[in-house]
Amino acid sequence: MNTDELIDTLSVDVPAVPRGAVGLRLALGIAGGAIVSVLLIAATLGFRADLWLAMQGPAFWIKWGYTVSLAGFASFAVTRLARPDPGSLKRLRLIAVPVVVLAALGVGELVRTPRAEWLAMWLGHTWTKCPWLVLALSMPIFAGLLWSFRSLAPTRLRAAGAAAGLAAGAFAATVYCLHCPEVSALFVLTWYSLGILLAASFGALVGPRVLRW
Amino acid sequence: MRADEDRLRTWMTGGLDGNAADHACLLRALVPLLTGFYRRRIADSNDIEDLVQETLIAVHTRRATYDRDRAFTAWLFAIARYKLIDHFRRHRKTVPIEGLEDALIDEGFESSSGARLDVDKLLGTLPAKQARMIRATRIDGASVAEAAAASGYGDSDVKVTVHRGLKALAQRIRGDTA
Repeated sequence: MNTDELIDTLSVDVPAVPRGAVGLRLALGIAGGAIVSVLLIAATLGFRADLWLAMQGPAFWIKWGYTVSLAGFASFAVTRLARPDPGSLKRLRLIAVPVVVLAALGVGELVRTPRAEWLAMWLGHTWTKCPWLVLALSMPIFAGLLWSFRSLAPTRLRAAGAAAGLAAGAFAATVYCLHCPEVSALFVLTWYSLGILLAASFGALVGPRVLRW
Repeated sequence: MRADEDRLRTWMTGGLDGNAADHACLLRALVPLLTGFYRRRIADSNDIEDLVQETLIAVHTRRATYDRDRAFTAWLFAIARYKLIDHFRRHRKTVPIEGLEDALIDEGFESSSGARLDVDKLLGTLPAKQARMIRATRIDGASVAEAAAASGYGDSDVKVTVHRGLKALAQRIRGDTA
């Protein structure tokens, strides 16, 4: 086909594109994946029995505050990297803020807890499973983001993959809070973050391959 | 005739609002821009046409990723660069890293094409004769004598015209930045 014909063909169907199209597309992918992750928890792990009670206390909201803020920063990065000219990602440095806040809460915990119980608090009951479950629950969300990316135009594929993995991991951790009974800030800081980082590494690893267009 | 950033941007936003005619104008105007971009980097003319078409398709199918508040050409050439790298990768062509830097460096191309757009715009504000003489002597590199011979004006006429034109341009630029 010559270029003029191509242009004629392309100009036949020109639907209007709303301003927030990129954000909407990404939100749909994340939401679709997150619903699958919630269903997975319901079907396999089960929600924590005391979820309603836990939601009255601070520990649950500290966990959610941490994972939701990470998810927010990751979503910002994904939205930027979904465009061919991502612009500055400097604002992403602020992701250190929730980490530092949680670390400070962790130090507070240590001060209040006798030294003999430190290890038990840090490892909780589920430290061996937690990072892997977060990674597993991030997969549907990552898949949702891959769907979103099909109509977007990332040009830095490894960075975009890492950001998508980070977002998938952070949202998965948010969802995982519905199951996880752990209360320690140090536990969350270590094992949740590890799961989220695993998801981000996975994204960086596969990004150049799966995001090509 | 160089379609400048503003015009391309207007067409792009028109297309995003669902105006098919604007969209067609945009794609047509992109053909020479993209052809020039790829020709400077690839020798094979079939490859160039393929890449131009691929880029047009990408511009069409991924137009939602254009942010209306940002420069259109930056978006366009980011896509073109991506397609170029993808082309090299697909053809297993090895490009030395240092060479790639030169070939793909973005600021160089964008600022030079941006500068060209600016120059065109500025020259457009001058009387035609002044613009033509400045273009001949300062951009195309002709001597005053050559420009005079080509245009049929006298040597001193050309000199004075260029001088007046440059002075007017300088004033305009100062006015712009003030």
